[in-house]
Amino acid sequence: MAAVNSTRAWFLLIGRLLVSAAFILAALPKIQDPVAFAASVDGFRVVSGQLTLWVALFLPWLELIIGLGLLIPQIRLGSGLLIAFLLAVFIGLHLSAWGRGLDITCGCFSTKRSEAPPNYLWLLIRNSSLLGATLAILAGDWQSLRRGKETKKPAP
Amino acid sequence: MLSDILRQCVVIFALCAAGAVYTLVSGLAPRPWIAPELAPGEIRVSDARVLDAIWVDTRTIEAYEAGHIPDALFLSEDAWESGLFELMDLWLTAPRPIFVYCDTEQCGTSERIAARLREAVPEMEVYSLRGGWAAWQQ
Repeated sequence: MAAVNSTRAWFLLIGRLLVSAAFILAALPKIQDPVAFAASVDGFRVVSGQLTLWVALFLPWLELIIGLGLLIPQIRLGSGLLIAFLLAVFIGLHLSAWGRGLDITCGCFSTKRSEAPPNYLWLLIRNSSLLGATLAILAGDWQSLRRGKETKKPAP
Repeated sequence: MLSDILRQCVVIFALCAAGAVYTLVSGLAPRPWIAPELAPGEIRVSDARVLDAIWVDTRTIEAYEAGHIPDALFLSEDAWESGLFELMDLWLTAPRPIFVYCDTEQCGTSERIAARLREAVPEMEVYSLRGGWAAWQQ
């Protein structure tokens, strides 16, 4: 039983590091060039005008902070929940753009415009895998919290 | 538990706000509350709407057939010669500015075709519509 728990803990740690790295690496180029990222956001045709600039201003910082936050015990549960929420939104946006036949630049890990058409299937598989890993991490954190609270309870 | 999560989210959003302020102060992004300046050769929808011009649609034929700016001429880079002749016919009949548009601000086709038109006929007054078809629809 202890061996199973130990293996599970290792998998969760690897998953946590991967999701965290994905969000940090995704955020950095956008923080450096928010104007180019705004053009990618505009391509989804969900928000427009000045709202696009607000999204391009805040979203990269949110990605960076929740990416780091997943490794910081004090804010890791909130970070995990926000990551899961963002990934679900990204999946919805990609599905919507695919359905509308838009020629978008993902803006996921780079702000450079790509000449090649977007590979929606790959984007959906990647984000779904990250979402699956995040949900597993959240479930693990939740169980640890419950166990911690139970051990703190005074014996009857 | 819920209050813990809320407290964590407040901390996260406060850090984001600090980051966004840094981006603005360091000049990496324009102030979102100030309307962006136009690049050379661009025109805003609000200005373009009130002018008598020839509109050139550079999106796909499917997008053009689904809807376009009234009287807009479809011009594709694949059928450049025939499209240019058709445009020349219109322009020579009544010379006026030419506004080129594509899907969104990001698409880039309108800037490219506008540059080709300026090169082909330097006498033409050619502008690219900022925000493209998406901006027109709003």
